[in-house]
Amino acid sequence: MSAAVEAAETGYDVVLLEAGVSLGGRVAQLNRYFPKLCHPACGLEINYQRIRNNPKIKVLTQTRPVEVSGSRGAYKVTVETTPRYVNARCTACGDCAKAATTQVKNAFNYGMDTVPAAYLPHPMAFPMRYVVSPEVIGTPEAEAIKSACKYGAVDLDEKPQTFDLHVAAVIWATGWSPYNAEKLESYGYGQIANVITNVEMERLAADTGPTQGRILRPSDGQEAKRVALIQCAGSRDLNHLPYCSRICCLASLKHAAYVREQYADSQVDIYYIDIRAHDKLESFYKKVKADPQVRFVKSKVASITEGDGGKPVLHGEDTLAREIYDRDYDLVVLAVGMEPTGGLPVANSMTDDYGFVVPHGDDGAIYSAGVASGPLDVSMSVQSATAAALKAIQAARGGATA
Amino acid sequence: MSAETKKPGVYLCSGCGIGDAVPMAALEKVATREYKIPAERCKTHDYLCGEEGLAMIRADIESGEVNQAIIAACSPRVNVDKFRFDGTQVVRANLREQVIWMTEPGKDDTEMLAADYLRMALVEARKVGLPSRYEGESYSERILVVGGGLSGLTAAREAATMGYEVLLIESTSVLGGHSRRWSKRTPHLPPYREPQPNDMEELVAAVKGESRIKVCLNTRVTKTSGAPTDFTVELTQEDGAVTEERVGAIIMATGWRPYDASKLGHLGYGISPDVVTSVQFEEMLATGAPKRRSDGNAPKTVAFLQCAGSRDDDHLPYCSSVCCSASLKQAIQIREADPSTSVYIVYEEMRTPGVAEEFFRAAQAAGVIFIKGKVKGVTAQDGLTVKVDDELLREEVPLAGLDMVVLATGMVPNAVLPVDDDGEPLPECDINPMSPIPVAGYAGEQPEAPTGQPCVTYKGAPILNLQYRQGPHVPILADGFSDSHFICFPYETRRTGIYTCGPVRRPMDMAESAEDATGAALKAIQAVRAISQGRALHPRSGDLSFPKINLNACTKCRRCTVECPFGAIDETEEGYPIVNPTRCRRCGTCMGACPVRTISFDNYTVDMMTSMIKAVEVPDEEEEKPRVLILACQNDAYPALDMAGIARTPLSPYVRTLPVRCLGSVSLLCVSDALSSGYDGVMLMGCKSGDDYQCHFVRGSAMAQERMMKVGETLQSMMLEKERVETFEIAIADAKNLPDIIGKFMETIDSVGPNPFKGM
Amino acid sequence: MTKPLPQTAARKYDLGFAQWVYDNIEGGDRISLCMQCGMCSGSCPIGDQMDNGPRKTFMMIRAGMKEEVLSSSTIWNCTQCYNCTVRCPRQIKVTAVLQSLASVAVAEGYAPQKPTLKFSKAFWRSVSWFGKTDERIVTAIYYFSYGLMEGFRLAMANLPIASRMVKAGRMGLLLPHRTKAAGDLRAIVAEAEKIQNRKRAGS
Repeated sequence: MSAAVEAAETGYDVVLLEAGVSLGGRVAQLNRYFPKLCHPACGLEINYQRIRNNPKIKVLTQTRPVEVSGSRGAYKVTVETTPRYVNARCTACGDCAKAATTQVKNAFNYGMDTVPAAYLPHPMAFPMRYVVSPEVIGTPEAEAIKSACKYGAVDLDEKPQTFDLHVAAVIWATGWSPYNAEKLESYGYGQIANVITNVEMERLAADTGPTQGRILRPSDGQEAKRVALIQCAGSRDLNHLPYCSRICCLASLKHAAYVREQYADSQVDIYYIDIRAHDKLESFYKKVKADPQVRFVKSKVASITEGDGGKPVLHGEDTLAREIYDRDYDLVVLAVGMEPTGGLPVANSMTDDYGFVVPHGDDGAIYSAGVASGPLDVSMSVQSATAAALKAIQAARGGATA
Repeated sequence: MSAETKKPGVYLCSGCGIGDAVPMAALEKVATREYKIPAERCKTHDYLCGEEGLAMIRADIESGEVNQAIIAACSPRVNVDKFRFDGTQVVRANLREQVIWMTEPGKDDTEMLAADYLRMALVEARKVGLPSRYEGESYSERILVVGGGLSGLTAAREAATMGYEVLLIESTSVLGGHSRRWSKRTPHLPPYREPQPNDMEELVAAVKGESRIKVCLNTRVTKTSGAPTDFTVELTQEDGAVTEERVGAIIMATGWRPYDASKLGHLGYGISPDVVTSVQFEEMLATGAPKRRSDGNAPKTVAFLQCAGSRDDDHLPYCSSVCCSASLKQAIQIREADPSTSVYIVYEEMRTPGVAEEFFRAAQAAGVIFIKGKVKGVTAQDGLTVKVDDELLREEVPLAGLDMVVLATGMVPNAVLPVDDDGEPLPECDINPMSPIPVAGYAGEQPEAPTGQPCVTYKGAPILNLQYRQGPHVPILADGFSDSHFICFPYETRRTGIYTCGPVRRPMDMAESAEDATGAALKAIQAVRAISQGRALHPRSGDLSFPKINLNACTKCRRCTVECPFGAIDETEEGYPIVNPTRCRRCGTCMGACPVRTISFDNYTVDMMTSMIKAVEVPDEEEEKPRVLILACQNDAYPALDMAGIARTPLSPYVRTLPVRCLGSVSLLCVSDALSSGYDGVMLMGCKSGDDYQCHFVRGSAMAQERMMKVGETLQSMMLEKERVETFEIAIADAKNLPDIIGKFMETIDSVGPNPFKGM
Repeated sequence: MTKPLPQTAARKYDLGFAQWVYDNIEGGDRISLCMQCGMCSGSCPIGDQMDNGPRKTFMMIRAGMKEEVLSSSTIWNCTQCYNCTVRCPRQIKVTAVLQSLASVAVAEGYAPQKPTLKFSKAFWRSVSWFGKTDERIVTAIYYFSYGLMEGFRLAMANLPIASRMVKAGRMGLLLPHRTKAAGDLRAIVAEAEKIQNRKRAGS
């Protein structure tokens, strides 16, 4: 979004493709930002308004590029759309949701709760338009959903479409997915209910999340007051993600703040290898560290087992105390890393071994921004998006390659 | 568009359940009877945003019957594209999200609420003007880049590539800054394991060879006056020669300097010529293999001490970010040159975020030894000895027999020009990064607030020496770095058209600085383009309106010049305000500040706001239907109310919400007018202020809060209770909390009783 | 070709020993990559019984603490469950390193401390009886080498470890099966010992 808005506000036409059902990406799913603990919804709203007010930006959701050909200044991008089963006639009145009887996993909340099979992706969705879940397509329920719509917006016959776009430059701002925590076998994610991931923690702490913002144990809904945050869950690990995902340390400091903000008698332990509160973010680390109820344990947790009452038990070595521990908690949060979105139609020469799209030294006009280009935080992603926007419009202008 | 030429058309939507919850005929009557809209220009449709509905509106516009469309339907936040009719002013009344989705259908209160929002829109339509853009005499699109290091050179080259003329100012006699002297750079390209060639010479050559870039060496900016697209900068050369240049936007890329090593005596600086800083060591590497200064021999054992001055409350409280990778690079270079050299890196946290982890591993594989611990002292015994509290061996270890010790000194931003003269004023720093984090409470005793110096102030002269009423500096944060303090919008400084980039903004390495500078070049280009078309910059991008001051009524109180968060308003010698429209971001804080309503925008005035407030029908006391006015920030509180509606959260039908550009634009007159026209209370909903502010106009909500602290006097003079007016900090994410917040306020109003002004 | 072990260093972080280990120990080449995360020691079913554990051992190697490393119990206590090796985020062959260090210690005459020696003897007896190590047999022999009552006391005190080893899948509850070709194994072991002795004689 940042790259699109910056290029458009400089006077260039932009087509913004989004594979998902709404703009906003991972940021829309965050509860707060570090270090200010402010709400991402705030900047999101500004950018949504900038897009709404700018006719130079054409937004296509549920659309992904399948092939890019051509050269600087003249690319052909073949794109494919997947059906939403709800067209632009939708007013977001919500009658379709009332007609739906099936509940489907709520992707916005990482499947921690459910929504009706006709749903608004989230309260700030852009476009503000419902979606009919493919799960009910072909059932009588879908017909009921269709007939509930007064505006003829439900189109059950929508089919995937393929068409071409002609553009001067391409920016990959395709972001990331949380690393699959089930691959961290010794951590029991998926088996122990009270072991969750950092992205799930964001939803747990958010008012629009499955617990309406209360940090509760998934197993029994009890308040989670003894919480362990496990850093480098997958990152900095040659068996998983070899790189450091950069944001997880700071995100966990923020998670400590979430817990401490809710419960006066809470205890948060952060298990880490190095706390990478780089540059000015050091102050955030210092502030969290000043809280006696947040403890830092230099230890990569070895394994997690399930103890009495569903309590996850952490096993490992506290390296500074040279002590082997077995400690139980109400809730354990795995700070899983960022994995670049795969499956992009880009040449291997344009990516590094991890799948990040990196400068590749040809004279083309294919750029990357944000986490598509490397593990970055929000501010750095906006920086890189703004820079990518300039490189892209240089190509649109036909300027010299640089 | 004057009142006489306005041809308003009213379009009521009965879709989405509006028609089921509210009698549309009653609303039509409000338009046609109360506001005398001809019946043929007041239309109800059951699907206004559908093709037919839109065609109906378009037909009226095309026939010339209507040139102002009043859309009473959904929230103004949605369907913006559908209800956009070029050349026609659109006014929206939010009957869906903030009426029928939060109140009970079919009730009188719901109908009254909808009718009042329609009235407010009708009044807004009467009062609102079509903004005419600001016309300057001529616009300079030239870009000034201050600083000829990596960031400045990159910004200059990127802007020139886009076809823009660039003036590049460098205070020393050479281009290239610090990084030109680096032997190699830390890797930014895959596989991220090897120190990479320093390509600064190529960049310097590219800039020198670019005809659109004019380079001025040995030059400082001694004065910057004017405004974006029309800045006049006074340049002073080392020899005293002064010239003036005109530029449109400014990129401040003044970089950094190493922390003063003479303050690092505790790390051994000064005890031996063989204790050097990382910058000094880099210079040695650049000229060949490092040699001991003491005897000219190549060192066989070298220790790097990390965080030399950084992350240290007595020195630099922040992490300088680049030092870990810089030491890894130097360590690898030593091991490559002579694999028999023993190299140690003493660190507390190894900070190689992102793909730089690869470089950490490369250094380990190269045999560099990493020792985690605090340095307890450095002595010149047994060669050099570093005493380390080795946290992993859990003992104090003398690291003895060292030939050299390298201090990984931190980065100090050049947000000011360092001066030796004690007489120089200190710049004012704001935004303390150490403001505490909210906690529910403590199990035991409350700890002391985190220590550490909250504010690093450097004695120094301003870089740009802005001739602004609000001072010569681009705002400097308490950690010593320049704006911005936004996470989502890191380029937005509080000085319009001036962008900071590179390490003056945040410690960053070469790759990041280059990227940051490229982004800053885009912002500068965007600024000159938008401004020369009269359009506002972020966050009200594209807005053509700008503040106009009626000097005849001005009392020279100077509140507008003081409160403008962007320093857009200067003063004449007589003390009158002068608006620099191209510096303005259109928040309206000046308008809110003015006690005598001399400041207005074509489409946003105090008169418009108070008229809209008064358009609401306030029931008599006997009806026991209180009225509470909510003045809600358009960006956060208003969307929060929408979100509450989308979640179908029941809210009191007695509130009437007026969205405002920023709470800073709310004049006390709006509050007093509301109370004198019978509202029982006023809720002011703005963004979070303070160090972790969320206000997009930085100081708008803070200014409003300050102003409202004085509302007590107004209330006292009206003999009203102070509880009737309250300020709230509301984020979009507070939607869930609104019923509680509004509910509590309604209780307060109930307990205070009805406003005695009702019906007067 | 094995280089001679360097002399004991006069000071900490003399890299002679570390370099020797990198060059001569199986898996030693990756020890420099250790980032001291503690995954190995934390994953070890008897991590709390080791004096240093693998992680600290690696730090001690880098610190040049030859004597302490070669005379530590850690290098003898490894049950070879390979949890550490499998999980090490830097892919260090922790098990192999410890085992190699133990053999160096023996060769260099660092007699293991009394309990450790007993433990290793028990280990060997288990191998020679069953053709494999079995934690229960090893510990039983080991504990009862102290006498019957003391054996019970030690066994009870270590019950938590035992249960953790069962959990780690490193210890079954039934009697071990004899390796099918225990005789062949003994021949292999004898041959290996011969090779090792030749190596030592050569160095």
